[in-house]
Amino acid sequence: MNTIRQEWFSNIRSDLLAGLVVALALIPEAIAFSIIAGVDPKVGLYASFCIAVVIAFTGGRPGMISAATGAMALLMVTLVKDHGLEYLFAATVLTGILQIIAGWIRLGELMRFVSRSVVTGFVNALAILIFMAQLPELINVPWPVYVMTVAGLGIIYGLPLLTKAVPSPLIAIIILTVISVVMGIDVRTVGDMGDLPTTPPVLLIPNLPLTLETLGIIFPYSLTLMVVGLLESLMTATIVDDLTDTNSDKSRECVGQGVANIASGFMGGMAGCAMIGQSVINIKSGGRGRLSTLSAGVFLLALLMFLGDWVSRIPMAALVAVMIMVSVGTFNWDSIRNLRSHPTSSSMVMIVTVIVTVSTHDLAQGVLSGVLLSGFFFAHKVGRILSISSRSEDEGRIRNYTILGQVFFASADRFVQSFDFQEVIETVRIDVSRAHFWDITAVSALDKVVMKFRREGTEVEVLGLNEASATMVDRFALHDKDEAADLLLPH
Amino acid sequence: MLKSRKILACVDQSPYADYVADYAAWAARKLALPLELLHIIDRHQEISASTDHSGAIGVDAQENLLNQLTEEEGTRARQVRDRGRVFLNGLRQRCEVDETLSVDTRQRYGQLLSTLEEQQQDVALYVLGRRGESAAHTRRDLGRHVEMISRQVRRPILTVAGEFVEPRSALIAYDGKRMTRRCVELIAQNPKLNDIPVHVIMSGKRATDADKHLQWAKNTLNTAGFRVETAYLPGDPEQEITRAIGERQADLLVMGAYSRSPLRSLILGSRTNDLLRASQVPTVTIHL
Repeated sequence: MNTIRQEWFSNIRSDLLAGLVVALALIPEAIAFSIIAGVDPKVGLYASFCIAVVIAFTGGRPGMISAATGAMALLMVTLVKDHGLEYLFAATVLTGILQIIAGWIRLGELMRFVSRSVVTGFVNALAILIFMAQLPELINVPWPVYVMTVAGLGIIYGLPLLTKAVPSPLIAIIILTVISVVMGIDVRTVGDMGDLPTTPPVLLIPNLPLTLETLGIIFPYSLTLMVVGLLESLMTATIVDDLTDTNSDKSRECVGQGVANIASGFMGGMAGCAMIGQSVINIKSGGRGRLSTLSAGVFLLALLMFLGDWVSRIPMAALVAVMIMVSVGTFNWDSIRNLRSHPTSSSMVMIVTVIVTVSTHDLAQGVLSGVLLSGFFFAHKVGRILSISSRSEDEGRIRNYTILGQVFFASADRFVQSFDFQEVIETVRIDVSRAHFWDITAVSALDKVVMKFRREGTEVEVLGLNEASATMVDRFALHDKDEAADLLLPH
Repeated sequence: MLKSRKILACVDQSPYADYVADYAAWAARKLALPLELLHIIDRHQEISASTDHSGAIGVDAQENLLNQLTEEEGTRARQVRDRGRVFLNGLRQRCEVDETLSVDTRQRYGQLLSTLEEQQQDVALYVLGRRGESAAHTRRDLGRHVEMISRQVRRPILTVAGEFVEPRSALIAYDGKRMTRRCVELIAQNPKLNDIPVHVIMSGKRATDADKHLQWAKNTLNTAGFRVETAYLPGDPEQEITRAIGERQADLLVMGAYSRSPLRSLILGSRTNDLLRASQVPTVTIHL
C-alpha cells in the first residue's frame, strides 16, 4: 500500500508537469524514429503511447521514460524494407516475450560484465546515430531548412536563459511551424513523411501465417531487439538511480519492458525501450513517480488527437533541431575530455564500442565487442600479476622456484618461460602454494614444466598444488563469501 | 520482557513531542531503563522540487543535473539534520532534569514503520504520540497507524494522547484470552510498577468462566505486590471501558491489541482501534 502511494501519488503536481514536458518532446522523437525505421509516424507514436502507459504500471524504475527509440528503430530497417509492417508487429511481440523470459531468468545480472567504458561508448554511439539519422534531412535541401534548423536550435538553447517555465523545444516547434505556414515556405513537413494517428490505437493481431518460416524471419530481429532494448533500459535505469539516489528493480524492469512491447506490437506499434535523453528531461523537470511516465503517454496521445492537423504541418527542420538537442544532450562529452587522462585500455574499449556500433548500426554488436575487448584487457592486466623467483640450495643440487600470483590462459606462457631448463641440476622444487591456478591451461603449463625437467633427468617436487588449484572450482557460489576472500589471500 | 533494554521515544517536531518525551522519561524512571529519543527523518526522495520545465538538454546534461541534484539534496539534508539535532537536544534537556536518567538521542533516515522494526531488538517499550506533525492526517489514520506498528513490532507500545499526568492508577481491559492474559503477566513481571493500583475490567457478553479469569488476574497481580480491583461490566466493551476509565480515574489504559488476523479486522473492524479512538488516556497496547 505504502509503495503504491509513494510510487504513484507522492509527487502529483511535479509528475504531471514533467509528463507534459516529456510528452511534448516525445512527439518529435517518435516521429523521427519512425522515419528512421522506415514506417509511418503513427507506428512510432502508437508505440510511444502504449509503451509509456504500460511501463508506468509494469516497470521496475519509477520516473524512467520508455517509448519508441532510435536504438531499436535502427535494428528494424531491413525487416520493414524486406518483409513489411506486419512482420515488424510480430517481431515486436516476440521481442516482448523474449524480454519477459530474460527478466525471469535474471539475465539483467549479466549487466555487471558491461563496464563503465562500454556504457559510455554505447551512449556516445547512440548520440552519434541519432545525429546521423538527421543528415538526410539536411543534405540536398533548400537553404531555408538550414536557417530554420539553426533558428530552432537558437530558441531551444536560448529560451531557457530567459524563462524555464515553458518547454523551449515546444516553443521552437510552434514558432517554426507558424512561420513556415504563414510565409508559405516550401519545406518538407511531418505530413509528408506518412500517416499520423487520427484515432486511439486499436487491438490488431498481426496478419501473418503462424509458421516456422515466419519465426525464422523475425527471430533474429527479435533477439537483437531484446538485447538492445534491455541494455538501454538497464543502463538508463542505472542513470535514473544515480540521479534520484534511489534503487530500482532490474528484473521487474526487464519483464515490464517485455509486457510493454507485447502491448505495443498488438496495438500497431514498433518495439521500444527506455530513453536516456527523455528520462534525463523527466528527472530535470521534476518527474519522480510512475505518474510522470503514465501522463507522458496519455498527454502524447491527447495532444495528437487534438492537434493532429497542426502536427502534420510541423516542418522537418524543427524536428531536426529537437533531435540534434537530444543527441547533444545524450552524448557524454566528458568522455572526450577524459580520453587522455583515462587508461588507454578504457579509452580503447569506449572507442571500439562507438566505431563498431556506428558502422553496423547495431548497438548489440557494439556492446559485445566492447565487452569482449574489456575482458581481453582485464585478462592481460591480471596476467601480469605473476612473479617467479628462484634460489639454489644444498650446495647447488636443488633449485627452489617460488611462484607468486595468477596463472591462467593469459599468463601460462610467461609461467613456462620463467623456468631455466638449461640448468644442470639434480632436483627442482616448485612452490606454488602462493600462486593461483585458474584454469586448465595453467595446470597443463605446470605439467609441461614438470615434463621438461624430467626429460633433463631432473627430479621435480611440486609443493602446495592443492591450495593453488582451489581457484579452479567453477562454482564460486558454493563457497561462502569469506572463503572466496581467503582464496585470494596468500595461503 | 523488559530487561536491560531501552525505552524508545519516537518524536517529531510537534507539540506532542514534549508529551511523548515526558511519558517516556516517566516510564524510563519507573522501569530504571535507559531512554532514547528517536527522530526519524523521511527524506521523501520520491518528491521533487524542480521548477525547470524547459525540457532542453545540452552539453553534459546528465552530469550537470546529477551535480545540481546532489548539491540541492545535500544542502537540504544538512538543514534538516541541524534542525533535528537542536530539537532533540532541547527534548533531552527536558528529560534530563532528573539526573538519574540516562538519555540518548538518535536521528535516522527512513520511514517510521521500517525504522521502528529495525530497532526492535533493543527496545523494551515504544512511546509514540497519537498525533504528530500531520495531525489532521493521523486523526483519521490513528488506529491503522498504531495497528501497522503493532503488527510489525512485537513490543508494548505506549501511545500518548495529551499532556503528561503522572499515572496514579492503571486499567487493564481484560477478556481472559491469551493476549490480555499476557498483559497481566507482563505487568506482574515488573514489580517496580506496583505502587500503581490496577483495575482489571472485563466487559461484553457474559462468559461463564469470567469470574475464574478475573480471579486468576487478581491472584497473579497480587502475588507481584500490586493492589488490584476487578470488575465485570456487562454491555458494549467500548462504552463500558471508556466509562470505567472515567469513573475510576484511571490514567493509563492497558490492552491486548489486534488479536484478529489482518483480514478479519479489515472485515469486522478492530476492537482495539475503537478503544484507541474512544479513550483519551495514554494507552499501552500489547501484541506479543
